[in-house]
Amino acid sequence: MATISLPYRYLERLTRADRKTILAKIAMIGSDVERIEEDHADVEFFPDRPDLFSPEGVARAMRGFLGIEPGLPVYTVKPSGISFTIDPALALIRPVLGAAVIRGIAFDDESIQSIMALQESLHWALGRGRSKVAIGIHDLDTVKPPFHYIASPRSRKFVPLDFSELMSMDEILEKHPKGRDYAKIVKDFPLFPLIVDDDDNVLSFPPIINGERTRVTIDTKNILLDTTGTDRKAVSDAVNIICTAMAEAGCAIESVEINNVQTPTLAPVERIVSVRECSNLLGFTLSAQEMATLLEKMRFGAQQAGADTVRVQVPCFRADIMHNWDIFEDVAIAYGYENIQAKPPATFTVGKPHPVQVLAGLVRGVFCGLGYLEVMPFTLTNGETQFKRMQRPERGDVLRVLHPISTENTEVRTDLIPLLLEFLAINRHRELPQRIFSVGDVVHSCITHQQAAGISTHAGADFSEAYACADAVLHELSIGYTIQESEDPAFIDGRRGDIYISGKKAGIFGEIHPAVLNAFELEHPVAAFELDLRAVPGFPDL
Amino acid sequence: MAELTQNEKRLLAVLVKEHKADAPHLATMLDTTPEAVVQWAHLAEDKGLVCLERLIEKAFFYTDEGNEYLKNGLPETQILRFIHDNISLADLQKRAAFRIGFGQLRKKGLISVNNGMIFKVGNPSTDEDEAALKNPITGGQRTKDLIKRGILQESETVRYEISITSLGLAHAEKGLDLREETGTLSSEQIISGSWKNANLRRYDVTKLPRKIYPGKIHPYQRIISEMREILLEMGFCELYGGIVQQSYWNFDALFQPQDHPAREMQDTFYLKETVPLPKGYEKVKAMHEYGGDTSSTGWGGIWREEKAEQCVLRTHTTSVSIQHLVQNPNPPVKAFCIGRVYRRETIDTTHLAEFEQLEGIVMDEGVHFGNLLGILREFYHRMGFEGVRFKPSYYPYTEPSLDAEVYADGIGWIEMGGAGVFREEVTAPFGINYPVLAWGLGVSRIAMLRLGLKDLRHLHHSDIAFLRNTPALYRMTGGE
Repeated sequence: MATISLPYRYLERLTRADRKTILAKIAMIGSDVERIEEDHADVEFFPDRPDLFSPEGVARAMRGFLGIEPGLPVYTVKPSGISFTIDPALALIRPVLGAAVIRGIAFDDESIQSIMALQESLHWALGRGRSKVAIGIHDLDTVKPPFHYIASPRSRKFVPLDFSELMSMDEILEKHPKGRDYAKIVKDFPLFPLIVDDDDNVLSFPPIINGERTRVTIDTKNILLDTTGTDRKAVSDAVNIICTAMAEAGCAIESVEINNVQTPTLAPVERIVSVRECSNLLGFTLSAQEMATLLEKMRFGAQQAGADTVRVQVPCFRADIMHNWDIFEDVAIAYGYENIQAKPPATFTVGKPHPVQVLAGLVRGVFCGLGYLEVMPFTLTNGETQFKRMQRPERGDVLRVLHPISTENTEVRTDLIPLLLEFLAINRHRELPQRIFSVGDVVHSCITHQQAAGISTHAGADFSEAYACADAVLHELSIGYTIQESEDPAFIDGRRGDIYISGKKAGIFGEIHPAVLNAFELEHPVAAFELDLRAVPGFPDL
Repeated sequence: MAELTQNEKRLLAVLVKEHKADAPHLATMLDTTPEAVVQWAHLAEDKGLVCLERLIEKAFFYTDEGNEYLKNGLPETQILRFIHDNISLADLQKRAAFRIGFGQLRKKGLISVNNGMIFKVGNPSTDEDEAALKNPITGGQRTKDLIKRGILQESETVRYEISITSLGLAHAEKGLDLREETGTLSSEQIISGSWKNANLRRYDVTKLPRKIYPGKIHPYQRIISEMREILLEMGFCELYGGIVQQSYWNFDALFQPQDHPAREMQDTFYLKETVPLPKGYEKVKAMHEYGGDTSSTGWGGIWREEKAEQCVLRTHTTSVSIQHLVQNPNPPVKAFCIGRVYRRETIDTTHLAEFEQLEGIVMDEGVHFGNLLGILREFYHRMGFEGVRFKPSYYPYTEPSLDAEVYADGIGWIEMGGAGVFREEVTAPFGINYPVLAWGLGVSRIAMLRLGLKDLRHLHHSDIAFLRNTPALYRMTGGE
């Protein structure tokens, strides 16, 4: 979600409606009102609608939604006569360039803030942190066209924004805050992307930083927009969104020539959509005319084309429209979710529980009957808890996450007893006896399965309690078993048993080793039991 | 008048004659220990039947050292005997009691030392110290000094005197039933019929009971089970799947672009393990790159196999749902899954790196967005939320998408979960030819409402008192 600040006065002027009307409806086009302040509102918009990341874009949408100005907004674009050359060496570095000229700027501090904020939101939503798209804006009157997008030696020097001395591009990556933030995008290339004017003045080192020379100020009248990246659609979406927002603010947009093509055109894309398909998806019947009217409310151009078809002009700033269903969603939004009849589907079906969960429920019942309290520990844990404090050798099939958030959560649990001991440690000062159990997922290698474990602590907790509990649970689950002396170092030698079911080891029980109790800082004996539920007869093969 | 215990009655019966007596005496009369008598008297005193006086008596004891000094005199007395004119320090040091005695004499200012010679000061005497040793007095300065020196010890003995009150006398006058009482009935009494003559003790039923804690299901699991039962009642089939998923099923099959922020290392737990892609993945690749055979443009760019092969801890149970759909492409499919999912979030009171997600899907001929709203409304109503409303939202794999909000008393509208119709880009590569309605919700959010939890971590790292004290039938907000 991107949070956009909407100053009321500016928003009301652009929308031609009062703030109350706007704020009452704004959530229904797909947003969350975060904060209502004295002079502005902070509103969150979804990442698929970067065209709403500016007050100008929001006003445009609201004029349609409120019925003030429905239909396709039309933008005229005149050629600026300015051209760009592109160095073929950029093909493997940062191949795509988009650009435009924006004239007739009447900046105040607020509108500079607004376009900077839009630029940053687009870097996030379309640009994937500038790697896919990076946007630069320049005072056009400080430089001399034509412009050249080149692959430059890294030693090339210029004065970057917010600095006063010449720096090489390598130095910028090292010393400039923006250089450090975004160095990873370009640092492996032998040459760096650079935009220069005809006198070889540097405009921009995309996607890192602009030159100080073309800094946009409150006195700037005309802007050159440069947008570079790796993805043609994303670059063109960014250019269209900025240009149309500036046009909404009253500026004139002019195209530039790149590779003999005038860009941008700000022209809509046409799609022919089926009314029936739309009605079937949404669950209410519409005529072609009704559908067209709803789409105009969402600022599409729309005309009935046939009995079942509507011709739709998708505005150039709608980066999210990739499929006809994206248009149908806008029909639903225009219709109003609150007006759609909510009706469960009619087909008769029978519910069916999953056998794994049925078994888990059964095990819960048995443990509760034995007086054990259910706990639900985390599934993420660490080697210290799982193995070291348990005196157990590290399992070869333990799953480690590659980039843990903290040393607490580095591995997925392979067994439950360590987590139950951790639970007892948290509750060391609570009344005894404490008898707790858990049923849940553990992972060995990449395979998830369920285990159940119960442990008991009090002055008299011992081997015979663990054995009795294991026996009761196994009996209730109709499992025949044999016991062999165990070698699990988490338990006391001579007071530990491995449970064998059909010749396979499937569980463990006994008295926890005092060294383990010390490691968990526990002060009373602990009797413990754990069972792999795959050993239960009829357990589904997953 | 309050019920009297058998012991209280016996105590009163003796006190009626004695009026006032000390505990050992009463113990002899009642054939018990003085401690038991004091205990009974305490309880009887609470009922106003007797008056219990605690008397403290002090006594002095000599330590072994003290006993020796009693016989031979204090060390200072012993040394003083040896001091005469012209005695040197060196000579005196040969005496047994020198170390303590000499120190005490110096301290008391009875002698002085000059050029290695010892001199008496005035006419020194230790008589008063000796008197204090023989007849110690509580609080006396010399006695205190002797205690400090470890020669004397002062001990306290507590003695109890018990007397009957007028209320006690009134009880006694009414007559005391002194027949032996029966507490717990014995098997022998029941079988033989002797219970008929037994004097069954009356208990004070207004007292608080002893606390016991039953074994029970975790309150969070109860909420999960409730949701599960609702969905089973609504005709859904339950799914279960692995925590570890290939990126392909967790993201790519759901048309999540490979450069989507949610797929970055900062948001997802990646594992070093990889799994080869399933057959037919090329259709997913085509969908991402150019929209396959549909009206979609796809995401563009190049879809990379190696990115899809990487394993992750599932970020949603949708990875389980989509595989179920692929294995069951014929309608109708109505399924749900409640399971733990993982997000690489910094853990705080309302965010955990792992949490339960509920997800449901419906695939059938002719199902539509309005049906999705119908299912959600029904589900939330059954969960006890009367007010349910929907608003536009965005999820990469659904279109149209919505967020469901429910009304909770005292809180207002709360966002509960997202939903939508699977995009054709998701279903087409697998030959799923009917719409798929899908919705998900965070189970913990309902748990927070229901249990009044302020910190989600308490669900997992729980205080056992919270689990013991949360009743099995628990409704706070968001309930009925």
